[in-house]
Amino acid sequence: MTLYEKITTLYPDLTNADFMPEGTIMLQNDSDGRGDYIREWNHPTLAQPTQEQLDGV
Amino acid sequence: MSTVKSKKLQVGTDATSSNNFTIYQPATPDGTLRIGVGNADSPTEVGRFNSNGYVATNAPAFSATSSANTPASSGVLTKLILDTEQFDTNSNFDNTTNYRFTPTVAGYYQINGIVITPSNADSTTIVIYKNGSHYVSTVAFHATIGVTNRYNISVLLYLNGSTDYIELYAAQYGGTVLGAGATMNGILIKAT
Repeated sequence: MTLYEKITTLYPDLTNADFMPEGTIMLQNDSDGRGDYIREWNHPTLAQPTQEQLDGV
Repeated sequence: MSTVKSKKLQVGTDATSSNNFTIYQPATPDGTLRIGVGNADSPTEVGRFNSNGYVATNAPAFSATSSANTPASSGVLTKLILDTEQFDTNSNFDNTTNYRFTPTVAGYYQINGIVITPSNADSTTIVIYKNGSHYVSTVAFHATIGVTNRYNISVLLYLNGSTDYIELYAAQYGGTVLGAGATMNGILIKAT
């Protein structure tokens, strides 16, 4: 399961608009082998999930 | 009226040679007039005239493309793996490690990006990053899902000629890759 899928599983009300520029969450991959990561989390009501929460999905 | 014939003409007599210019014909004439910085005995070429007009010697221009799909999870801004250079006049594009353009001439650059997204994606984001941060972006919502889509982004920006660099990122929503054939290209418009 990808990072995006884990986050949207935890927070099913999120939409693609949240992950677009000027959205509330920015996921990034620098194509350097380190994989996807949360670059910015600015959602006004949902807390950034912990690694434990992500691992539990 | 008199006629002066010479292969070299130094303009300036400053003690610091880099304050002087030389216009000259190359040792083996090739139909060009060269312009160099420095004294007439050892000018460093910075530009030339040919039958088409002026050509700046060190003006960077590049075009790089992805030879294969770039793996990209849905919803994740992913750097395009631009591993194939079509041209890179000043060797300023890194097509092996960081896939970025770091020009060595300061000035204003026109930069263009093309991203190809899979048929099962329903929208696409393209972002040009400057020095690792979002600089300009565009979002497209696919009118028809089921066909491959191509989108463009363009920007005119300043790069300092030493540390500034740009990269091309994109996200697709619904698929697993960004398509082969993605391209970033650019050219120096005005040196500073």
